[in-house]
Amino acid sequence: MTQVPPSSGSIVVADWHRCKDSKEYFSKILHKKRRKNFGLLESPVMPPHVAVDTVHYKIFISGKSGVGKTALAARLAGLNIPNMHYETTGIETTVVYWPAKLRENGRVFFFRLQLWDCGENALRRFDHLLPACKEQVDAVLFLFSFTDRTSFDDLSTQMAKWTGTPAGRVVKLVVGTKFDLFMHCDVAERDVRDFQEKWSLPVLRVGGEVSDGLGDVAPLLNCLAENLWHQDCVTAESARHHSQQDTGTLL
Amino acid sequence: MMMLQHGSTQLLCLTASSGVPLFTRGASKQLPFSVIGSLNGVHMFGGGQEVVLSSCETEGGGRVVWRVFQDSVMLIAVSGGGQGSGGGQGGAGGSKEEEVRLQRLLENVWSCMVLVLGQDELTNVRNVERLKRDLRSCFSLIDQLLEDRQEGILGNLTHCADSLLPPNPTLLQEAVDGFAQASDSEFGCLIVHGRIAAATEKWWRLAPQEVVLLSALMRSLSASGSASCDYPVFLPQGSPTVAHRLLRFQLLPGADVCVLCGPTPSLHRAESGIVGRFWTPLVETLRDCLAVGERCLPPSVSLRPDVLALLLINRETRRSVSCVRTLTNHPLGDPPLPSKARCWELLKLFYIFSTTRYFTQEEALCVSPEEKAQRGNTEDFVLGFSHQPLQCYLVTEECKSYGLQTPQHQLFLLIPLSVPTFALRTVATQTLSDIVAAPGF
Repeated sequence: MTQVPPSSGSIVVADWHRCKDSKEYFSKILHKKRRKNFGLLESPVMPPHVAVDTVHYKIFISGKSGVGKTALAARLAGLNIPNMHYETTGIETTVVYWPAKLRENGRVFFFRLQLWDCGENALRRFDHLLPACKEQVDAVLFLFSFTDRTSFDDLSTQMAKWTGTPAGRVVKLVVGTKFDLFMHCDVAERDVRDFQEKWSLPVLRVGGEVSDGLGDVAPLLNCLAENLWHQDCVTAESARHHSQQDTGTLL
Repeated sequence: MMMLQHGSTQLLCLTASSGVPLFTRGASKQLPFSVIGSLNGVHMFGGGQEVVLSSCETEGGGRVVWRVFQDSVMLIAVSGGGQGSGGGQGGAGGSKEEEVRLQRLLENVWSCMVLVLGQDELTNVRNVERLKRDLRSCFSLIDQLLEDRQEGILGNLTHCADSLLPPNPTLLQEAVDGFAQASDSEFGCLIVHGRIAAATEKWWRLAPQEVVLLSALMRSLSASGSASCDYPVFLPQGSPTVAHRLLRFQLLPGADVCVLCGPTPSLHRAESGIVGRFWTPLVETLRDCLAVGERCLPPSVSLRPDVLALLLINRETRRSVSCVRTLTNHPLGDPPLPSKARCWELLKLFYIFSTTRYFTQEEALCVSPEEKAQRGNTEDFVLGFSHQPLQCYLVTEECKSYGLQTPQHQLFLLIPLSVPTFALRTVATQTLSDIVAAPGF
């Protein structure tokens, strides 16, 4: 079943990190102007009178070897981006806390996004890794690199692995990495547009210097939060619909 | 011949049978192909004459060390010389030390290749191109071994696990045991600041080099800041052909727990169901443990003010603690104390100096007796004696060093030059009893 993605900014307030009222929330994920690294036993703590719910999601990062999966996870979490490319020889997960404000009712949530990253060669060599990544997954980020045409052409193969998965609905986003290296750009803007139309999936772009730690990741994280929230609403809606039908038959 | 820049090390890997280069790591400037070919050729020539060429020194002060593993892979380490051998240390920075360092490096590199790829893939090579590609997965660990940058980690050299003595060991021990059991595993380990703070009994029964290697892997995973991992690993001694799963969880930044397990539990289930149950009650205990920092010793252990740096090895458990302290240079006219980084370097050199000349070096189990004889790190001088030296010392322009061994421990100390030489023995014996008495190391 194809699901129409929500248009950007329709559910979650875009650029909320720039607004004044977001400060007390974002300050909880920052430490000395850098992003805070949370251990599994930690989470952002708000003062008791500001109760904020945290919603948990599992996101798998898919893409050809060397496309920048590990670097993307590090960038989104505000961790040091490795300056050398090394293969990821197993599954590594990275946790990102991201506060987002719903447009509809002004409620704020902490999105706890756990990014699952696994090297392509490891996936090929060990059969148990992919099922582990697919277990209860909520979203998949399909990565391609603007400097590697084959990674773009490979997208449909990557996505084919995820069509018809019985594991319920999964949010799908496409991310183009290394967008800053335009000198070596191998994927034309028109190709991206065509792709976007054909699959009706959002395509996001990342790359370049890590600036203030929020501005460069906000569009992607907000888009992800928006799509995940939307998916949950649709699922809840259909569940309610189902249960109403059930009660109907019972009566 | 001056092959490489001073202080840099290059690692070459070739197939043992045909000399096909598999990879090169380290050193910014690669050795020319002709040199690589010659290095392989001269080793092969020796083989034809039934001579094993294991090490040689170049006129420019460089070193080359060869070793063939399982008749399948040849590793060659080439160093430009000068690494760590500052003029001051005199005897303890020479070529012998460099040879030992490079031999250890080759052993460790081979172990880490087995850890990542398994022995079968390395010994039954069907497709060299494929092996070359798969070997890339080992580069992260190999580069870490080559750079050897993290201060205060000596396990790669000593093959004793770098440990940290926590202020509250019982609580942590119970948690590690319980956590491992709940994860269907007998092998569990808590690592704080890259050093083992607690581990299950079975963890200590792994081969010492496996413990050290897994610690190195944990350090590199922990440094990335990721929250959890599920890594397939082969154990070079215990399970070289069947992969286990290493599950690792970052409890707090700097404190990671791991278990070695079979097909269950899944990473997702272990993380959501088991981690919190065992570790949430211990957040404060873990924070206290993190506060111990690089000192490795709990606050209850106080060291004499004249100890500059120490390495203490427990010979039975194959564990070690080490630290370098910042002492203030006060009396005017005293020679300046060596920097912290230099102290770590000196500690390593003094360890090699003592273990090759006087003390026995507990060799890694992977070395067969014949190989041990071939490589002969311990000089004939020592082997010719019926008794064992118990203490040794060395005075250089930078500091004084003292080594002491008992049936259970080996202690290596750096002491400022201002301390009179006749007092060194007292400093050493007292330091040993200070540490050993307190937490039962």
